[in-house]
Amino acid sequence: MPAKTHPDGRSAEPVIPDDWLAEFESAAQRPLKTRFRYAFIKTYKPVLDDAPFRAFDTMESYRHWCEENLPDWLGYGRV
Amino acid sequence: MGAFEYRQAEEIRDVFRKNGVRYLFIGKSGAILLGFPDTTQDADLFVERSPENCQALVTGLRELDFELTEDQASEILRGKDFVQLKNGPFDLDLVFAPDGIERFDDAWQRHIEVEGFPVCHLEDIIASKEATNRQKDRESLPRLKSFLAYWQQLGGPGTSD
Repeated sequence: MPAKTHPDGRSAEPVIPDDWLAEFESAAQRPLKTRFRYAFIKTYKPVLDDAPFRAFDTMESYRHWCEENLPDWLGYGRV
Repeated sequence: MGAFEYRQAEEIRDVFRKNGVRYLFIGKSGAILLGFPDTTQDADLFVERSPENCQALVTGLRELDFELTEDQASEILRGKDFVQLKNGPFDLDLVFAPDGIERFDDAWQRHIEVEGFPVCHLEDIIASKEATNRQKDRESLPRLKSFLAYWQQLGGPGTSD
């Protein structure tokens, strides 16, 4: 969901969508340990999870490898 | 292997501190440490690329029970830009040259400590995602920018106003 803009369209000051603001405020009440438990998930990612170690000389070579080898739906391709 | 846990982050923090590793949490995992409510699978660390630091990193990773072969350790010591580890108790991405951040020292000067965890400034996390410009980054950026606005309104650490 994109951030709202002011109704008059003049200001660049971001307005936080109400539902996101509620989530940010709720999260701020939780201890870090709890935020961790809610935030980190684990699902199998094809190809990416199939090797124990990979190293790339450059970020460009890593990005290129992702685009060549990973399914598009994983979202690692550059726009 | 399950999801990355708080106690594992504590182990990174404690082992890396003991070994003098210079690093910062970056990416969505860094944002989560700063209070951003969202989900992620990866823990991403921006590591200073110097011979001494990479040696300390390898020592620390082995203490954390990452099973690094000599060849793999050599690759880290030789200074790659990106290393993906799935040979330990949790998955870890090591980034030595993140998009959108010129130098480790620049990010270090702006970094924020959260319960002893060194974390990139939220503006650096956003800058890195903007520079990378992957589909998954594009999708998370509006929410991250809204969180930055919220964080600044609260007078979050490192905010100027």
